[in-house]
Amino acid sequence: MSTFPVVRVLVLLLVLLPLISAVLVPLCGRLARRVSLVIASTHLVLTGVVILAATETLSIRAAEEIRIRGDIEAQPFHPEFVPGDTGGRHGNEQRTSWTLFSLSAVPAKPGTPGPNIQFYLGIDGLNLWLVALASFMIIPVILVSWESITEKPGAFYGWLFLLQAGVVGAFLAFDVILFYIFFELTLIPAFFLIGRWGVGSGRRDAARKFFLYTLAGSLLTLIGVIGVVVTNPHPATGQLTFSLPDLMVNVQHHMHNAHQKALAGDPSDLAARHTTQFWLFVALMAGFMVKVPIWPFHTWLPSAYGEAPIGVTMLLSALMAKLGAFGILRLVLPLVPDAAIQYGLPVIGSLAAFGIVYAALCAFASKDMKMVIAYSSVSHLGFLVLGLFAFNREGLSGSVLHMVNHGLSTGALFAALGFLLERYRTTEMNRFGGLMGRFPGFAFLTFILVLASIGMPGLNNFVSEMMMLAGLFNARNPGVQGLGLAVVAALSIFMSAWYMLTMVQCVFFNPLKEPEPVTAVAAPDVTRREFVLLGTLVSLCLALGLFPQLLINTMKADVRVLSIVGDSARARVQGVPYVYEDEAPPPPLVSPGPPIGAPGPKGKGGGFKGKGGKGKNPLIGEEE
Amino acid sequence: MSEPISLALVILVLPLAAALLTASWSGEILKKAAHWPLIISCAVSTVLAFLLVGQVTDFATGRIISSPVTWFAAGKLKVNFTITIDALSATMLAMITFVSTMIAVFSSGYMRGDKGYARFFAVMSVFVFSMCGLVLANNFILLVAFWEGVGLCSYLLVGYYFEKPSAAAAARKAFLVTRLGDTGFLLGIFLLWRMGGWHTDLTALFDHIQKNPPDQGTLTTACLLLFCGAVGKSAQFPLYVWLPDAMEGPTPVSALIHAATMVTAGVYLLARCAPLFALSPDAQITVAWIGGLTALLAAFIALAQTDLKRILAYSTVSQLGYMFLALGTCGAISPTFAVTAAMFHLFTHAFFKALLFLSAGSVMHAMGGVIDVRYFRGLRKRLPVTHITFLCGAAALAGVPLLSGFWSKDLILESLTEASESNSPYTAGYFTLLLLAFFTAFLTAFYTFRAYFLTFWGEEKIPEEAGHHLNGAKGGVHESPSVMTLPLIVLAAGALLVGIVLEPFTHWFSDFLGTTPSLGQVRTPSAVSVKGEEHHFNWTIAIISSVFALGGIGLAAVMYRKGEEKLPAGLEPVFTLSRNKLYVDDIYYAVLVKPAEVLAFLARVFDGFLDALSRLVAAIPRFIGQWIRPIQNGLVQFYALWMAMGLAVFLSFVFRITR
Repeated sequence: MSTFPVVRVLVLLLVLLPLISAVLVPLCGRLARRVSLVIASTHLVLTGVVILAATETLSIRAAEEIRIRGDIEAQPFHPEFVPGDTGGRHGNEQRTSWTLFSLSAVPAKPGTPGPNIQFYLGIDGLNLWLVALASFMIIPVILVSWESITEKPGAFYGWLFLLQAGVVGAFLAFDVILFYIFFELTLIPAFFLIGRWGVGSGRRDAARKFFLYTLAGSLLTLIGVIGVVVTNPHPATGQLTFSLPDLMVNVQHHMHNAHQKALAGDPSDLAARHTTQFWLFVALMAGFMVKVPIWPFHTWLPSAYGEAPIGVTMLLSALMAKLGAFGILRLVLPLVPDAAIQYGLPVIGSLAAFGIVYAALCAFASKDMKMVIAYSSVSHLGFLVLGLFAFNREGLSGSVLHMVNHGLSTGALFAALGFLLERYRTTEMNRFGGLMGRFPGFAFLTFILVLASIGMPGLNNFVSEMMMLAGLFNARNPGVQGLGLAVVAALSIFMSAWYMLTMVQCVFFNPLKEPEPVTAVAAPDVTRREFVLLGTLVSLCLALGLFPQLLINTMKADVRVLSIVGDSARARVQGVPYVYEDEAPPPPLVSPGPPIGAPGPKGKGGGFKGKGGKGKNPLIGEEE
Repeated sequence: MSEPISLALVILVLPLAAALLTASWSGEILKKAAHWPLIISCAVSTVLAFLLVGQVTDFATGRIISSPVTWFAAGKLKVNFTITIDALSATMLAMITFVSTMIAVFSSGYMRGDKGYARFFAVMSVFVFSMCGLVLANNFILLVAFWEGVGLCSYLLVGYYFEKPSAAAAARKAFLVTRLGDTGFLLGIFLLWRMGGWHTDLTALFDHIQKNPPDQGTLTTACLLLFCGAVGKSAQFPLYVWLPDAMEGPTPVSALIHAATMVTAGVYLLARCAPLFALSPDAQITVAWIGGLTALLAAFIALAQTDLKRILAYSTVSQLGYMFLALGTCGAISPTFAVTAAMFHLFTHAFFKALLFLSAGSVMHAMGGVIDVRYFRGLRKRLPVTHITFLCGAAALAGVPLLSGFWSKDLILESLTEASESNSPYTAGYFTLLLLAFFTAFLTAFYTFRAYFLTFWGEEKIPEEAGHHLNGAKGGVHESPSVMTLPLIVLAAGALLVGIVLEPFTHWFSDFLGTTPSLGQVRTPSAVSVKGEEHHFNWTIAIISSVFALGGIGLAAVMYRKGEEKLPAGLEPVFTLSRNKLYVDDIYYAVLVKPAEVLAFLARVFDGFLDALSRLVAAIPRFIGQWIRPIQNGLVQFYALWMAMGLAVFLSFVFRITR
């Protein structure tokens, strides 16, 4: 498609800038926080340019209709603005030529070249807004830490940038190993941030627990990733690949062939593939379940969130928690779709649903506001996982949107706690009361954030929650009886109001009660820095709640890709032929007559073509 | 965009603009004049709403739908900003804006000098905006948005005196109890979405369901889930408990939100969804029973309450029950008639209940914030205007013949009579409900006049607090300023006249509401007899209900004319039961609230256990390590010994295989 060489450089910079800053900022000493703010703002501007460029490209793609033909199932992700793309070779699919590491010694068959681990980054509809979130949230984090981090600020901000680099890199990666590297990279800065700058006495313990727990899970994920690569060589050449789009096509192709055999009366191949997928699913999910986290693997979260300094808690909740859900979206759903259909909602979904209620109860019983929001995060993310595994357009769009929304509103709530921490060094609920009269400005802003978190219409979470709920109502996954999960999900909207408003009642209502302030003078209402910080977050919540369609439109094309993968997996699990179903009949073509470049009607068992021609719109073909 | 649509949008935008203006300037300029934006916008909106009412009858199809603007859409879910204007929404709009104007004027006097003056008017403006949006919305999700919006305003206004713990608790309770109902509401919407051709636009959804009648069981489930939302918002059994507590808010709030407008949103919802409910007789009889039971229950509780505002609150719950009774007959009888009966009662109730609350507010204003009828007596000399207006409202509520409440209650009773004579499968149920409604009418008249006599008759008695009141500093207790009494007089005129003018002889109200297209199109299941649009006045019912009403008033007069609460010995246990609200709140606390809190506590404890479990798993490697650590004892001879032994075992093994 259109090539924006500049944007490619920018995409690369989105990862490189924080990486370089991670090295440079520690050298700045006392100036570190100002330098960090400048760097973070620069990063945000870069992201803004990328968003501008990408929304246009992605909207064009969303408007295109996928042409129905034999290999409709083989839909890969379409990364745009891939740095290192040589162009032309693969039609409109962008590939990178930057190989990090060539495993020439491990060909799948003798005589074939080995797989390459590539530095394969790109933007698509699924990661664009998450990158934006990662780019944006670092600024509130810096502002929250502005006064509170006095010990070695340079190192602190350096680790922050490394964390950001890891998160952005994981969001952008289209090579499974590269994804894994970035995914694990985030652990190191998080470990030091919690362990060294933590606020509680148990910070070292919390950091170690967080590190080991998530590492244990994600090592299993690595096994899963390698397993997927090894079991899905290119159907014709037998070449192994780490490139996510290629892997998706390979998986779809193998599954498609097995499905055809099963339809013809020989289910053994399909059954074998389903067994393989089951074990790969277990391995892949191990890491993501810990990272999300899904009950009962959440126990690292309360201590990590509680012990970390508030800025780091913001980053953990807003960004790192999204990595788990994003991993499910990026790896689990496309690479082991059949298992995701078979076990996603019934098993993981049940755990998530249980976790929603469980975490809500824990949130209610917590006495520390930090814990209330931490548990509420577990509860909300359970809902998000339900939406993901509904594996249809409503659920997927809702989940991707909810990742952004939840990151924003939960991060913002933690930022609001930073206000109290700075003044009183405590977030113990029982020690506060009647703050609405004491700090009207702060109470107003925080109250809107609370409303966003409990899904008040007009604010951001409502939209994504409605979409995920619709996804659960439209879930056609076999093995899901009735609407039990949807009922639990709806209940979670009630329960969030239950614990959040109890907190509001305790802290903002009732007669005034405040603990010993840090300074001798009476604590002021929101300062200018805090007003900018909270005000921006509040207005973003409002903007996303009123105009979410801008985001949804850009992710439409990639959600469609995933939903086709999901539908074909659904057909395989149910043992029926796959029929492509679009949301609306395709609009009439501009030029009548047989589309150029599109093969004629083919049977389902038709040959599998190379990656080149497929997914290519005939209209685009004409342009070229 | 057609003219009526832009008119409706202006009505919608005006209160929002007022809210923004009040909120953004509350600090400086508008501190003393914060009421003007609301009053002006409401007054203009009222005029426009009446213009709109005039235009509705000219619509070719009876309604106008604005072109949809996408809010969000993914897959099969499409949610639009779209509004519809028909007789139903125009009626509601006119009623809301008119009552709001009156109450805004009253509040400017009542709230004067309060430190949250601007906050009060800002939130009130948001409320009027949300309420107008609610009745205009033509999309279920959009409706939910405004629905939650009014709930939020209710929360903020109940918790207006946020420093008072009881107000803070009441606010949370109001929000949570209604939210519980809303959970069902949302599920119902998505169930309808799934079976109604993936539509969320009301009109499209209803059309689809009319054309493709869905499975009866699913439809009933969906209807009952929708009804959950209405039960929460309109304070019906079992979720009515929040409304009496909501009286912690300022009195104008009780009048506007918790009597005249917001609590009727549930009634409006069911009237709007009549095409669905008419298809499901099972859902209908449930609605009717819930309505009937609530009416009786709340009337019973109201008997012995001592807080004037709470008496009125229970009375609101009870009257809303009446409306649901009428709505529950839709399907058994012509939906137009059932909906007209309910909406007419909603309409008249808005007048007399707002009037009663504002009069109570006026009493409270004079009494320095005391509202318990045990502490004051015989106020009719001190508060002449308030006395008369309260009497008008009380008479209308009690159903004194020829007043508004009489006519609208009569329509409801008639709809029940017709339903019990129809060939619906539940005629016996409707007949029982009719008897229940008569009895409730008697109770209503009794408790209303109990409150009236206790407040205004008997020997004069004024609580201490009244003396300290700002206005009372000069000449003791006196009547409220005219900015407060004027709205009272206007509403009193409405309470007396609006019924007789609009319905019994002219049929203006029913004819107008009958033009609502969604009601006319309803196809009822099987061959339920749908009687003609014309209904004639039923003398038997009118006479019976008059006898009950006057009987209740008479009994109250006999018992309380002296302004003293003296009970016959036999009634004491009954009154104790009523005074304790039938122990419903206590039962809820013991059965639901406390167990939930205990469960939450247990979950938190269990979470610690879960953490310990994960630590245990993590400790296993260390444990194994400790167990085998002695092997690494640092003695070279020891290592050599083991090496030799290992080598020996290995070699013997190798040789055995190769041999």
